[in-house]
Amino acid sequence: MRGVLTAAPALLAALLLRAAAAFAAPAPEVEIAGYPPAEALRLGERIYRDGLLPSGEPVQAVVQGDIPVAGTMFTCAACHLRSGLGATEGTVLTLPTNGARLFAPLRRGAEYEPERQARVPRWFDSGLARPAYTEETLALALRGGVDPAGRALSGTMPRYLLRDREMALLVHYLRNLCAEPSPGVSATTLTFATVVADDAPEADRNAFLAALRAYVDSHNVQTRHPIRRAAADLAEPMYRAYRLMDLVVWELRGDRSGWDAQLRGHLAARPVFALLGGISGGDWGPVHAFCERERIPCVLPLTDRPVLSATDWYTLYFSKGPFQEGEAAARFLRREGGGATTPVVIVRRDAPAAAQFAAGAVAAAGGDAPPPVEVVLPAGAAADAPFWRALAGAHPGAAFLLAVGAGDLAAAGELAAAGPASSVFLSGGLLRGDAAAIPEALRPRVRLTWPRRLPGDGAKSALVAAAWAKNRGVGPGDPEIHAKVYTLGWLLTDVFMMMGEDFYRDYFLDVLDMEQDQTYASAVYPRLSFGAGQRYASKGCYVVAVGAGPKPALTPLSPWVVQ
Amino acid sequence: MNRSLGSRAPLLLAALLGAAVPALPAGAAEQPLGKDEKYRRTIERYEAPDVRLYDQEGRAVALRELLAGGRPVLLDFIYGTCTTICPVLSAGFANFQKRLPEAGARLVSITIDPEHDRPEVLKAYLARYGARPGWEFLTGTRQDVDRVLRAFGAYVPNKMAHYPLTLIRRPGDGRWVRIYGLIGTGELITEYEAAREGR
Repeated sequence: MRGVLTAAPALLAALLLRAAAAFAAPAPEVEIAGYPPAEALRLGERIYRDGLLPSGEPVQAVVQGDIPVAGTMFTCAACHLRSGLGATEGTVLTLPTNGARLFAPLRRGAEYEPERQARVPRWFDSGLARPAYTEETLALALRGGVDPAGRALSGTMPRYLLRDREMALLVHYLRNLCAEPSPGVSATTLTFATVVADDAPEADRNAFLAALRAYVDSHNVQTRHPIRRAAADLAEPMYRAYRLMDLVVWELRGDRSGWDAQLRGHLAARPVFALLGGISGGDWGPVHAFCERERIPCVLPLTDRPVLSATDWYTLYFSKGPFQEGEAAARFLRREGGGATTPVVIVRRDAPAAAQFAAGAVAAAGGDAPPPVEVVLPAGAAADAPFWRALAGAHPGAAFLLAVGAGDLAAAGELAAAGPASSVFLSGGLLRGDAAAIPEALRPRVRLTWPRRLPGDGAKSALVAAAWAKNRGVGPGDPEIHAKVYTLGWLLTDVFMMMGEDFYRDYFLDVLDMEQDQTYASAVYPRLSFGAGQRYASKGCYVVAVGAGPKPALTPLSPWVVQ
Repeated sequence: MNRSLGSRAPLLLAALLGAAVPALPAGAAEQPLGKDEKYRRTIERYEAPDVRLYDQEGRAVALRELLAGGRPVLLDFIYGTCTTICPVLSAGFANFQKRLPEAGARLVSITIDPEHDRPEVLKAYLARYGARPGWEFLTGTRQDVDRVLRAFGAYVPNKMAHYPLTLIRRPGDGRWVRIYGLIGTGELITEYEAAREGR
C-alpha cells in the first residue's frame, strides 16, 4: 500500500510530461528522395553493398566502354570495399569513395589538416587534384565518369544508370560511409580490448594475455620515435598514422546468459576500436553476436567453438573447428575413398564439439550415397565391445566416422567385423592429437583428420614464435597459444601499415582481408588465407594414416585442402 | 685488338662452371602499360601441365584435354573474392558469351585462391555472372594450381598482386595470344577472331 502512495507523484509527473511531449511540435526529419533518413541509408547501403535498387531490381552499368554489368555480378563494395576506402590490386587502383574523402578536396601529395597545409612552402605545394565532390558532381562522376576537375575516370569504373531518386539515395549513403573515425581512436592512441572468459583454464588465460601484452608493449616501444617524427610540420603520413596501443581486458564471468550484459558494460565503460584475439573454453556465440550487433571487429579469438556463418562479417576465426574436420572426412571419403556410394555412419557423444564434427560431415556428404546415419551415444552408455560389434553387424561395408574421444575407443577394434572395405575416420582434434590412444588393431583402417601442421612440419615457424616469446619475457605457457598470438601480431603490424590514418573499424577488417597467405608466421596451421568476406583463415584439414607403436607416424593421405 | 682476359673473366668463369645466364621468365612482373597503351598483346608458347583440376560441379577435369582441340580457348586467372580485376574480366567473359553464342568458344577460368574457392564457390560465382554452358571455372590442389600458373607465366606469390590477363589459344598453331590489361568486349572479340584465323 505504501509503495503505491510513494509512487503516485512520480507517476503523475511522468504522465504530465508524456502529455506535454505529445502536444509539442516534432522536430522535422529531413527526407532523402522521399524516405526518412534511416530508411534512405538502408536503401543506399543496399545499392552499394548488394547492387540492388529500391525496386529490388539489379543496378545497371557499363564497364570498360562496352560491357554491361548488372548489380548481381559485382557491386560498389566489391571494388571499393565495405568501408569505401578502396584497394590496390596488382596494377589497378580503386580510389576511396567514403564520405570523409569524397566530400573533401583531394590534394596531390600528402594531405594535411588545413593549418599544416598552409605552412607548406609554395614551391612544394602541387596543388589541388580535385575540389570536394558535391551531390551534383558526384552524380556526374557516377553517370558520366568525369570528376569535378574534369578528369575522366578509368574505364574500369562503371558508368551507372541511376534515376535521380536512386542517385540521391546512393549519394546520401556515401556521404555517411566512413565519414568519421570510429570510436576508440584518439590523436595518440588506439584502444583495443580482448575478451578473456573464465571458462578457459587459468594457465591458458595467462599465457594468452602475457603474449598479447608483449606484442602491445613492443608496438609501443617506438624504436623509431614515430611520435616525435609525427610532430614535425611536414611529417610523413607513415609517422602521422602511428598510434600507441592501449589494451583493455574484458573479463567474462559465469553463465553465458549474462555475457552480453557484461560485454555491453565493458563497451560503455570505455569505447574500443576493435577486439584482438580473445580466449574461451566454450561457445564463442555470445561474443560473436555482440560484435555483429555493435559492428566491432574481433580478430582471431582462441576458441574451438566458433560461430559458423556464411554471411556474418565482424569476427575472423582461425578455423571452423571440429566442423572443418567432419567436412574433410566426408570429402575425402567421397573423393579418394572410392566412396561416392559408401554408406556413412557417424558415431558421437552428445557433446558440442562432437556434434560439430558430425554437422560438418553431414554438410559435406553428397553424391549418390544415402544420407549419413547418426548414432548418438547417451552420457551413461558405454562404448563397449557389444556396442561396436552390433554397429558393425548393422552396417557392413560402411565408413564409420567416430566423433569420440580416446576413452571411447578401447573396444572399437570390433568394427573390423564390418568387413575389410570398411574404413574408420577419427578426429585428431577430439583425440587432442593423441594418435597413440587409437587401438593398434584399429589403426590399419583408420583415417585421422588432422586440422593443423603435420608433426615435424613448420619447425622454423615454431622456433620463430618461441624465440619471440622468450625474448619478450612472455614466460611459461602453452607454446601453441604463444604461436597464435605471434600470428595475430604479425598480421596486425601489416594492417597498421596499410591502414594509415584511416581509422575506421570496417576498413580495419577490409585491410585484413587483403592480407597475403601466411605460411611463415603460422606455426600451428600450414597456411592461413584471407579475402573479402573470408572469415575462417585456415581452410584445410589433412586426412592421415596412423602407423604402429607408441609414437605412431602420421602419413598424409590428402593434400591440405581436400577438394 | 688486345683485350685483356680480365674484363671477360667473370663470364668465362660462369660458362666454365656451367652456370646459366638467367633469363627473365615469360610474364614475370609485367611492366605497367604506357600512357597510350590500351593493352599489351604478345604471342607466347605455353604448355599446360598434365594435372587434374575440379570444375564448378566438382568433377575432375584433365586440363590438357580441356585446353586442346580445334576450338579457340579463352583462359583467365581469377578468384571468388577478388575485388577489382576479376569482376571486370568475368563480366567480359559473360558478355563475350552473350555476343558470340555461335562461336562455340571454350572459356576457362582458373582460381588463384584454391583453398577458398571450392566447387560450390565456383558455381555460385558463375551463376552471378550469368555464365552460359561452355565456361568452366576450375580449382585444384595448391600444388597443381601453382604449376598451372607458372606454366602460363601468370604466377604471383601473393594473390593481391595478380594482374589482368586474358589468354586466347590459337587452334592453328597451338600458341597463345597473351593480353595484358583490362579490355572491353569489342576488343576481346577482335582479338578472338584474329586468334581463330591464326593472325
